Amino acid sequence: MMTCKEVLESLSGYLDEDLKQDLVVEMKKHIGVCTECRAEFDTLTMTIKLYRHFETPEMPTDCHDRQVKVLELEKMRRSGKGA
Amino acid sequence: MIQTETDEQLVRKSQEDDERAFGELVSRYESKVYSLALKMLRNPEDAEDVLQDTFLRAYRGIKSFKGNSTFSTWIYRITANSALMRLRKRQLPTVSIDDADEREAPINIADWAPGPVEQMLNQETQAAMTEAIEALPPEFRQVFVLRDIEELSNAEVAEILDLSVAAVKSRLHRARLKVRNRLATYFSEPRTRRAMGAQ
Repeated sequence: MMTCKEVLESLSGYLDEDLKQDLVVEMKKHIGVCTECRAEFDTLTMTIKLYRHFETPEMPTDCHDRQVKVLELEKMRRSGKGA
Repeated sequence: MIQTETDEQLVRKSQEDDERAFGELVSRYESKVYSLALKMLRNPEDAEDVLQDTFLRAYRGIKSFKGNSTFSTWIYRITANSALMRLRKRQLPTVSIDDADEREAPINIADWAPGPVEQMLNQETQAAMTEAIEALPPEFRQVFVLRDIEELSNAEVAEILDLSVAAVKSRLHRARLKVRNRLATYFSEPRTRRAMGAQ
């Protein structure tokens, strides 16, 4: 049986389905009977779920316009036509 | 047709001073670059600075781009580095990455009572989530944003940040625990106290 410390160390790999099959079986077994590790598993899972739904505002249009201007200035600078 | 051109074709043309081709690459990636910068820096002005810096560097460096990685990896790498430099400049009093694994055990995770994600994602929770990211050391924040918000693979994150996959996994795990612990503290506060704190 894995220890709680070992389970905690492998939790991210377990959530990412990035562990060897025998370790997965051990993790499942431990989490099934250990309340603390179950809570660790649940809260870490929820944390990742929350951030995957985290909203980020779209890029504003004027930000695009300024970006175009910066590159145009650079092109002018490169061709020696502008400051 | 422009739409059918691959990134590789556009890069090659850009390397031959085709300004239209470089403009097409900018159009394809600018919103992604801005979004990544905003997720890392949580500030629209800083995200715009990173956007401009990224494409200026790409424009100046396109001829030396050898194609050892994809253009998207390359542009993400420039973005992540530019954002990291800004994070370091405005370095808040966070712990260094070497000391960062102290106290990874949550205070009381049993008090955290999660419900459906959609119900939990109110403004107040999002503010707490932002704070949790901001408390991460910059190197952890990079990995966490790329992996858990941008949803890139460990291998992609490793390539972008020029780290080993093992290093990405290690930083990711520690970052997740830290973020989770901050959220656990937030969720375990009595609702009335949380509401007062939000005013």
